[in-house]
Amino acid sequence: MTSEWLHCSILRAASLLAPSDQRDEWLNDWRSELWYIPRQGATQFCLGAFRDALWLRRNNASSVKQNGMHLESPLSCLAFLATLAAMAIFIVVCLSGPLKHIPSYSGVRARDLPAGCIAMLVFSCLLLPVTLAMGRATANRHPTPWPSTVRRGIFLAVKIALVQPIILCGFIVWILIAPMALFGPFAICGTWILALRWVFTDQRRRCPVCLRLLTHPVRIGTPSETFLEWYGAESTCSRGHGLLHTSEMSDSYSRRAQWLSLDGSWSGLFPVAFRGRQS
Amino acid sequence: MADALRLTHTSAMILQAIAAGHIYGYTVMEVTGLPSGTVYPALRRLERDQLIRSQWERQSTADAALRPPRKYYKLTRSGEVTLEASRKRYPLLAKLVPTEEVQDA
Repeated sequence: MTSEWLHCSILRAASLLAPSDQRDEWLNDWRSELWYIPRQGATQFCLGAFRDALWLRRNNASSVKQNGMHLESPLSCLAFLATLAAMAIFIVVCLSGPLKHIPSYSGVRARDLPAGCIAMLVFSCLLLPVTLAMGRATANRHPTPWPSTVRRGIFLAVKIALVQPIILCGFIVWILIAPMALFGPFAICGTWILALRWVFTDQRRRCPVCLRLLTHPVRIGTPSETFLEWYGAESTCSRGHGLLHTSEMSDSYSRRAQWLSLDGSWSGLFPVAFRGRQS
Repeated sequence: MADALRLTHTSAMILQAIAAGHIYGYTVMEVTGLPSGTVYPALRRLERDQLIRSQWERQSTADAALRPPRKYYKLTRSGEVTLEASRKRYPLLAKLVPTEEVQDA
């Protein structure tokens, strides 16, 4: 009875790694297989479920669409970040009192918050060359119009700026929770890098023209056919501005994601979007 | 030949096991000696590449045998072509996971 409980718990824990829309089916799959496994090898069998769930998560094409549904529009993304930033600032102002009791940080006051944010912003700007290096190569002869490029740059800058109070809030909460922990600075740096990584990843998943998140990811090619062919995913701008080809394996001819602009001849596929563009 | 995919040795072994009649995930594990953490993701990958297809057995069949229904796997047409190419690439494959004909002989 105990071992059955243990096996079910392992499978249940592993199922948390599987994408939520496929979790029940995945769990049923493993539970039904477990029924046939001899008891002595069942624990080993169940531990393999973690790897399977991870594989499923990494290869789930629908996850991008579902996770980004609420942040699809650039305005909703900025509104979400602004709300989080406002909450973070409120928390930091409330926590500035308890912070005075910590000797190293007794001089920190609520009015130091903007200076803290600016300092973090300066450090974040040091990562901008990396962002440029990870930029998207254009795959056709129609370059993105300069107003769109400017808009995209402003969007990225605002996102980076809005993330700073959130990271600062996490920094101050960490000081209060574990002021003496040796690994504290590493945890902060890790969080900081993850937050900025999200900003850049989100930027790369957006249409360079309308800044909406790209949708309908479709897998193209097969990993076994890599000779003179690429395999990866193709995402579409819901407004019909273009397609993004993201190679799963980096090679000499598809190292970067390739943006393919669509002209008016594709209007039949995106009638609503093109009507919106013309009006 | 252009249609034949190049498989890893592990994937080829799994494909060979299914072709040999070991159509359930656990029986593939048994016959290949590979752990579950390798076999099940590989089965998903092969299914994604349309080399195999999976199907749940009927609930009535499972109920009659007083056990939960199992998912079984079958080779597709392109899976058969790929396996044939893999057998040429890995000549020992048929000996590692013998088919029923080989076993009978």
